[in-house]
Amino acid sequence: MLDKFATYLKNRLAITEEQAVEAVSCLKIKTIKKGQILLNAGDLKSEAYFVNSGLLRYFSIDEKGKEHIIQFAPEDWMLSDRDTSVFNEPSAFYIDAIEDTEVVIVKKDFFPAIKNIVPEILELNILMLHNSIRFMQKRINMLLSASAEERYLNFIKLYPNLTLRVPQWMIASYLGVTPESLSRVRKDLANKHFR
Amino acid sequence: MKVKQVSAILNPPAPHMVGDGFRVHNFFPSGYKLNMSPFYMLDYNAKIEFSARNEPRGVGVHPHRGFETVTIAYHGAVAHHDSAGNSGIIYPGDVQWMTAAKGILHKEYHEENFSKKGGLFQMVQLWVNLPAQFKMSTPKYQGVKQSDIKKYDLSENGGIIEVIAGNYKGAKGCISTFSPIEVYNVRVNEGAKTDFNFPANFNTAFIVIEGSIKVNGTSTAKTDQMVHFQNDGENIDLEALENSVVLVLSGEPINEPIASYGPFLMNTAEELQQAMTDYNEGKFGYLE
Repeated sequence: MLDKFATYLKNRLAITEEQAVEAVSCLKIKTIKKGQILLNAGDLKSEAYFVNSGLLRYFSIDEKGKEHIIQFAPEDWMLSDRDTSVFNEPSAFYIDAIEDTEVVIVKKDFFPAIKNIVPEILELNILMLHNSIRFMQKRINMLLSASAEERYLNFIKLYPNLTLRVPQWMIASYLGVTPESLSRVRKDLANKHFR
Repeated sequence: MKVKQVSAILNPPAPHMVGDGFRVHNFFPSGYKLNMSPFYMLDYNAKIEFSARNEPRGVGVHPHRGFETVTIAYHGAVAHHDSAGNSGIIYPGDVQWMTAAKGILHKEYHEENFSKKGGLFQMVQLWVNLPAQFKMSTPKYQGVKQSDIKKYDLSENGGIIEVIAGNYKGAKGCISTFSPIEVYNVRVNEGAKTDFNFPANFNTAFIVIEGSIKVNGTSTAKTDQMVHFQNDGENIDLEALENSVVLVLSGEPINEPIASYGPFLMNTAEELQQAMTDYNEGKFGYLE
């Protein structure tokens, strides 16, 4: 199913439906079962992923074997590891599927290759890059300065339905707090708002 | 009075796990695209043997808004806790009717002793939609022991009809509902016959929990099958081909728009979004 990615491009560029469909026609789809790994640390894959359906997570594993979630990617999100997708270096991170997932594989050469069909695509690529940097800047600031409650409130704004789709410990990992702290935050919110 | 014709005898769709404690066949809305309003969803846990385990299997804390969850036990035992402070254990024959309405958190696990011993497990979980005007009402919990369920005795030791909700020939179920609904457990002996009368527009189905039956003199259905009816008449005849247990569902359709996402069942997309926000912000309460 490439039409979701075509719509994604069409919504962000001043292009026609036909141009969008032509642009994505060379791309491949991949389905990944829940729990399956899409990218391993050490892999060399010059590709990014657009999520058609399902949910991916991007994470590292430290020396003690603990997982640290950097990002979730639900439907309509793009996800890539820059080491491998841009710099041709082995990835230090992992990507796996939290749900059965379908992705569009966007190879490194996709954007230059289609600039003849859609000249604006390079501008979009730059905009997406800036958006990603903006996201990471906010995320760093949250992790350095915000309370557990502020981090959680920011999380539910960014990912409104993930509290139903992701186990509590993964949300805690993403927020950089213990599962117990996250429980406390949710309990405090319930005490404030439940009537 | 016309006969309510059988529209289909349906085999249970492929099962899936709900948490690690319920292996269910979803008859609708995913398994078959049936219009069964006011019943929105039916998960049928056909008989399965669970091995003994110290840590009970089940489903962890999750929210609901906009409808009622109904659990009917046939084998095994389930423990329930919710954020309104209700808790209970459902044993075979018991019924738990939880009105989530404006929002509740709950969790359901195999009861501790059942889990430790293991054994045969068979349950039905139904989602009953609420009319728009009651979707944001106060949550409510009705737990009924089998011994307290109103029974109608069939003649000549034909068996009994346990009236969970509704009214069977004067025997009134003690569960109160928000729209006209009939839910019975029919425990009928081999060779016995009985009959039902539901308005033509009521969406109706039988689930054969145990045994085999003949419906309207022609259609036969066996254990784990669902008999779905048309909306063309009122009368249904049931004959037990062996000792059987049949769950009877019939209800007046709620003709209102449906917007559903996961555990929320509302009328509009905006209401779904609000449900998500309210859940995230703790407005459904808290449950460990």
